[in-house]
Amino acid sequence: MAEFLLPLGSRVNKNGKTHKAPEGATKVRKFRIYRFDPDSGANPRIDTYEVDMAACGPMVLDALIKIKNEIDPTLAFRRSCREGICGSCAMNIDGVNTLACTKACEEVASSDVKIYPLPHMPVIKDLVPDLTQFYAQYAAVKPWLSTRSTAPPDSERLQSKEDQEKIDGPSACILCACCSTSCPSYWWNSDRYLGPAALLAAYRWIIDSRDESTGERLDALEDPFRLYRCHTIMNCAEACPKDLNPAKAIGELKQMMAERQH
Amino acid sequence: MKGGTALGRVLGHGSAKNGVGHWWMQRVTAVALLPLTIWFLASLLALHGFDHASVAAWIAGPWHAVLLCLLVMTLCSHSSLGVQVVIEDYVHGHGLKIASLLLSNFAHVLVAAAGVFAVLKVAFVAN
Repeated sequence: MAEFLLPLGSRVNKNGKTHKAPEGATKVRKFRIYRFDPDSGANPRIDTYEVDMAACGPMVLDALIKIKNEIDPTLAFRRSCREGICGSCAMNIDGVNTLACTKACEEVASSDVKIYPLPHMPVIKDLVPDLTQFYAQYAAVKPWLSTRSTAPPDSERLQSKEDQEKIDGPSACILCACCSTSCPSYWWNSDRYLGPAALLAAYRWIIDSRDESTGERLDALEDPFRLYRCHTIMNCAEACPKDLNPAKAIGELKQMMAERQH
Repeated sequence: MKGGTALGRVLGHGSAKNGVGHWWMQRVTAVALLPLTIWFLASLLALHGFDHASVAAWIAGPWHAVLLCLLVMTLCSHSSLGVQVVIEDYVHGHGLKIASLLLSNFAHVLVAAAGVFAVLKVAFVAN
């Protein structure tokens, strides 16, 4: 059956360590952060960090870096570009999957900032999830141009401005996994359901005017689990930090499947 | 967990090459249920009395009996498709999943058959 409770070893101890704010801090905010150390053998716990926002950058990632640099160097998280283009710092902040680098602390409505790793993924350490399967699902949709006609010898394969604009949106996906890990259907069946991110990537190549493998791509998706586990819950569109709409792309894929029947 | 590579596990046994039929029929039955349900509710409201004789007389009308049979069959078919999705979503052990799907299928066919039989019996006995 679907699991509605975490396995015993994954249940979270809500009362972890508390790191008090330094004396003289003027604008203290509490960050309650999920901690898991695979080497300790202990269950995950929630640690509380009191951060002086008067001496901290505005974004959640700024606070995480400040915590790691100044309060607790054992805190593990991924980050790289700090401007919303690499997708590394995807995590669950105040109950919503998003990028820590583009989420302002002031936008977090709750008084404490609660930070968890992306939901329902195996956790490697603290806020670092194991995305191996997520990347394999991306690879499974063959995210590259597939043609039969030979390329023009002296030029690129051209497409019209309108055709290019169709793929501008889905091409902007940064594979942060915010969408797939916000999807209940992906939580229950990620072993067989490809998830919104991989399906958006498949859609991006299916609607590419230069691609000549639309039929094969649709064939590969036509499956009760790979595609049809999407029940239009729309969490993916809600979570996407790039304002993309994987649910709409999946809806259009289902429509293409139906159209080629009649 | 099955061995092999992550990509190998994701690709699994390949695409089942179906799902679109289920998706289409779920919509076809939903579209059919819309007028059938409205007709059914409107007819109930328009009934003069809910005593056995007047309800039986209403059911016995030829159009009423045909539409009631269609309503029962469409409803069961739509429900069967829907419950199938719920089972596939939440029941993960392969044996238990197949058993649940069979049980759901049989139960829906049984309810449909019983419903149609009941309508026909009232329709033919009343006349």
